[in-house]
Formats: sequence, C-alpha cells, structure tokens
Amino acid sequence: MILVNVLHRPIRTVVSILAVAIEVVMVLIVVGLTTGLINDAARRTEGIGGDVMVQPSGASFMFSLSSAPVPIKVGDRLAEIPHVLAVTPVLFQSDLSTHGLGVIFGIDIPSWNRVSGGFVYLSGGPFQGPMDVLVDDWYAKANHVKVGSTLSLLSQTFHVSGIVEHGKGSRLFIPLATAQELSSSHDKASIFFVKCTDPGYTDDVEAAIQHLLPGWEIHNMGQFMSMMTSNNLPAVDTFINAMIGLAVSIGFLVIFLSMYTTITERTREIGILKSLGASKGYILSIILKEASLLAVIGIAAGYIGTALVRKVLIESFPTLYVESMTSGWAAKAAILALMGALIGAFYPALRAARLDPVDALAYE
Amino acid sequence: MEPIIRTEDLKKIYRIGKVDVPALRGVNLIVDEGEFLAVVGPSGCGKSTLLHILGGLTGPSSGRVLVDGNDFRAMSDADRTRFRRHKIGFVFQRFNLLPTLTARDNIALAQSIQGNGFNPRRFEQVAEMLGIAQKLNHRPYALSGGEQQRVAIARAVICEPKILLADEPTGNLDTENSQMVLSMLRTLNRSFRQTILMITHNPEAAAVADRTIRMRDGRVVSA
Ligand SMILES: Nc1ncnc2c1ncn2[C@@H]1O[C@H](COP(=O)(O)OP(=O)(O)O)[C@@H](O)[C@H]1O
Ligand SMILES: [Mg+2]
Repeated sequence: MILVNVLHRPIRTVVSILAVAIEVVMVLIVVGLTTGLINDAARRTEGIGGDVMVQPSGASFMFSLSSAPVPIKVGDRLAEIPHVLAVTPVLFQSDLSTHGLGVIFGIDIPSWNRVSGGFVYLSGGPFQGPMDVLVDDWYAKANHVKVGSTLSLLSQTFHVSGIVEHGKGSRLFIPLATAQELSSSHDKASIFFVKCTDPGYTDDVEAAIQHLLPGWEIHNMGQFMSMMTSNNLPAVDTFINAMIGLAVSIGFLVIFLSMYTTITERTREIGILKSLGASKGYILSIILKEASLLAVIGIAAGYIGTALVRKVLIESFPTLYVESMTSGWAAKAAILALMGALIGAFYPALRAARLDPVDALAYE
Repeated sequence: MEPIIRTEDLKKIYRIGKVDVPALRGVNLIVDEGEFLAVVGPSGCGKSTLLHILGGLTGPSSGRVLVDGNDFRAMSDADRTRFRRHKIGFVFQRFNLLPTLTARDNIALAQSIQGNGFNPRRFEQVAEMLGIAQKLNHRPYALSGGEQQRVAIARAVICEPKILLADEPTGNLDTENSQMVLSMLRTLNRSFRQTILMITHNPEAAAVADRTIRMRDGRVVSA
C-alpha cells in the first residue's frame, strides 16, 4: 500500500525524492569540495619538500596572508642551526581577481632549489627577468597559458618563462625581489621552509627553532599534514556545518509539506483504515514508512547526482580538487537525510493517527 | 444466553460550538447472536451514530454498552480500536474502498491490519461466495457499484467478525444490485450465523431481516 501511494502521486513523489537527492548532493559536494581544497593545499605544501615551516606568531597555517612579513635575516639564523641543510624564504602575494583563494609565491630560486630539489620544467625555464612568472601545468591548462604568454597579476604584466610540474606549494611563482618590491616589504618574507640534512633530525631542528624564536608558528610537515583537516579549520568547519544545516532543512521542509498535504488528501482513506481497526501506531508507521521510502530513493539518487556533479565540476574547473565521496560521509549524508525526512513526516503522521474516525469517514 | 449486544439508556451528545446536539437520547437495545436486525427511521434520527458507537468508532456520552462481553465504559480509545479490529466488520453506503488498491488488496488489507496474516482458504471462500473471484485484480473505479459493495462486504467479513454493521449498504445501488447485496447478507446470516445490524431506508431491504426496529429522535420507538 505504501508503494501504491507513492506511485499514485507521481509529481509529489518526484519532488520529494528530488529534494532529498539535492540535500544529499549538497552535503557530499560541499564536503568533497572543502576537503578537496584542503587536501590539495596540504599536498602542495608537503610537495615543497621542507621539513619544518616557520612563520611569525599569529599567522594562520592555511590562509597565510593575515600576518605581516618578517625580516629575511631570520633565515640566516635558521641556517646556522645544526643539521639544517637549507632554508628558503617565501613571500606570499595574493591576487584575488585572477587566482581565487590561491596564493602567489615570491621565491628565491637558489635556496628554493636547495630545499625542494628544484622544479621539473615541462617547458621553458627559470626566471630570466624580474617580471617573469612560473606557472604549474594545471594552471597553464586551465588558463591556456604557454611559455611567452603574458599574465596580468598584481596589477602588473608578467611574462611566463616556464611551465613547471604541479605540486610544489603554489601554482604561480614570481621572483622574491619582485614580490618584495610590489608589496613594499623589502628584505622580508612570510614563511621559511627549512630542510634538514636528514629527516631524522626534524624534531631536533624544530626544538632548536622554538628555542630561537619563542612564540612563532613552527610546524614540522607531519604535524602540518595531520592538522590540515576541516576540524582544525574552524571557519571551514562552520561553513560545512552551515551548508549541511541548509541542505537538511530543504529535505525536512519538502517532506513535511509533501506528507502534510498527502494526509489532508487522504483523510477519508485514514478513516477507512481506522474503521478496519487500524491503531494509531499502524497509521503512524505507514506514513513514516512512506517518508522513509521517499528518502531512501532520494538518497540513492543523491549518490548518483553527487558523482555526476563531481564529474562536471572537475571537467569544467581543472584546477579544482573535489574529493570523491567517502563511505563515511555517504553514510552520514544518508542518516541526515533519513532523519530529516522522518522528523518532517512525524507531525503529519501524528495528525493522521489522531484523526477522529467518524469525522475522517465523513470527509469529502 | 447473554445477548451479543446490550445497550442501556445509551446517550450520545455532539457538541457543536456551544450547542449540544443530542443524537441518541436513551437507547435500550438487545441483539442476540446470529440475529439479522434492520434499523429504520427518518434521516437524522441517530441510526448511524448508534452503529458507530456499537462498532467502537466513537464513545457514548452516557449509558451502558455491552458488546460481546466488552463494557465500553471501561475501555480506552486503543481498547475500542482493538475490539473493532477483531470483532467488527463495517459496510458503508459509499463502499469506502481504497481507490488505489485492487479488490484483492482491499480485502487483504483487512487481514493485514488484523495481524493474523493472509489466509488463502478463507479468502477464496469469501470471494467465491460474494461472486467477485473474477474481479479481484480490478481497482474500484473499474467495478460497478454492486461489485464494489460486494468487495466491501468481503473485506468486512474476511476476518470473521462477531458482528457486521452495515450503514445503508444498498443506498447507492439500483434494484438489481440491491437485491444481490441483500441476498448475500441473508446468506452470510443463514449459512454462517453472522450477526448483522443493517440500517436502511428501504422497506424491501428491511424485510430481509429477522426483525426491524424503528428509531425517531434518538430513541427506539418500536421493536
Ligand atoms: N460528527 C457529528 N458531529 C455533530 N453532529 C453530528 C455528528 N454526527 C451526527 N450528528 C448529528 O446527530 C444526529 C444524528 O445523526 P445520524 O446518526 O447521522 O443520523 P441518521 O444516520 O439516522 O441519519 C443528527 O442531528 C446529526 O446532525
Ligand atoms: Mg446515517
């Protein structure tokens, strides 16, 4: 009978299923996008090859633009610490107009190469002049950039001198001196990446830096990678929760309205069931089962929808990382959608269960 | 032997806003097991209300109601629902089949609500007796009024209720279909000793019953 009722009102059924599916897609895509962004940033930071990251106090380890740069001389003192092989300073620059959330790295090629082992050039080569820029292959592909192209960044015109393999910090690199010039921060850097003579010395080096620069943000790479989850990024976590809340509200409201109108439509049928001796529990359960059926189909449609939306997103935005759905989040989204549907259906179901049988039978 | 239905000074007052509408003003009624009783009387005299109370669809305002040993005064809403599920079968003037279900599923629904599961032997027997065996896969809209009412009777008796309560079962039927439905009720009563209370406006219908009571203004005026 539940199935018959669902099939008997195809539009209502499709709308309800769609709402649940949208709910599931929203949850999974928001989570996939944010974790994708975080994981991508984490992997690229790891790819730089430093063992320890050193930032002034107050700097956020993800959105590194908030704190003022510090004198580059700090790098010389870090280099004197035992077991330090190399130190490279980076000055962050942001150009929101062309680059979204990403950060442009101002780098010093000689020390950068010592820490990172150097870029892999897919075409072109290192900077030839101050207004040269290196881009990674993903950026090049997404923006149709070639060696010799010009890029408008930071209100300046840059020439692309080389295209490098992705995975080393940023997607865009300019000479450190140019970055300092453009931001009027002469002889300053936002962060230092420190390479040890052997990774085994990382803890010792980290301790020595902490001693040298008390209060600074000092993270070894392992620690950094484990911190790069949404749980450690309050703003991201809040964003995810807000989007989930919004998505669940949509599912809840549509199911509520759908079941509420159905109950009114079916008042007489409920009266008939009562005349046959159906208890309140029986009526409650058939309506909750019907809502669950809609939710389950909606969840399945949501999984398919998520896969499709992810595919479209990745194809349209090659630089975008969207993590594929994890079983944990798939289960979470399903539970949220099901709970939302059941809670949405509960009040209409209760109303139906409480209908007076004589009145319900007389309902036109 | 204890009668299957006994009411003593049964009253029912409906409250509409601030006005009390007395629907039953003291009904004393005794029905024996296996009896086929017709209830006649002008519109609004309380016949349906009496049937609803006897079937436990609504509670009495005062007075005593004893049905198959159950005293309604001591019963909660849930108790009356359980009582109705196991002991009462309803047949209505408007058939009251679920439009989305086939005849078979309408009948099976009663078994599923009763909770004793599907009983194919009983099902076949009832379908055969009511002459609807060929129509079981049809939905109500594809059945004639007479066929719908026979399906409704099948649904009402499939779980072998103690009492069949029929509220103007032939009220929406032409003469031929009325005759058929009445003769089936007659058969149920004769062959299975089914206790039946039937409300009717039609003297011919009343004539099929063993006994007729007449109601007026919420009272039984002649037995
Ligand atoms: N649910 C109800 N609410 C208020 N008044 C009702 C209700 N049901 C019946 N009545 C009133 O009770 C009286 C008896 O009605 P009813 O039992 O349906 O009569 P009958 O079936 O003999 O036509 C009528 O005056 C009717 O208006
Ligand atoms: Mg009536």
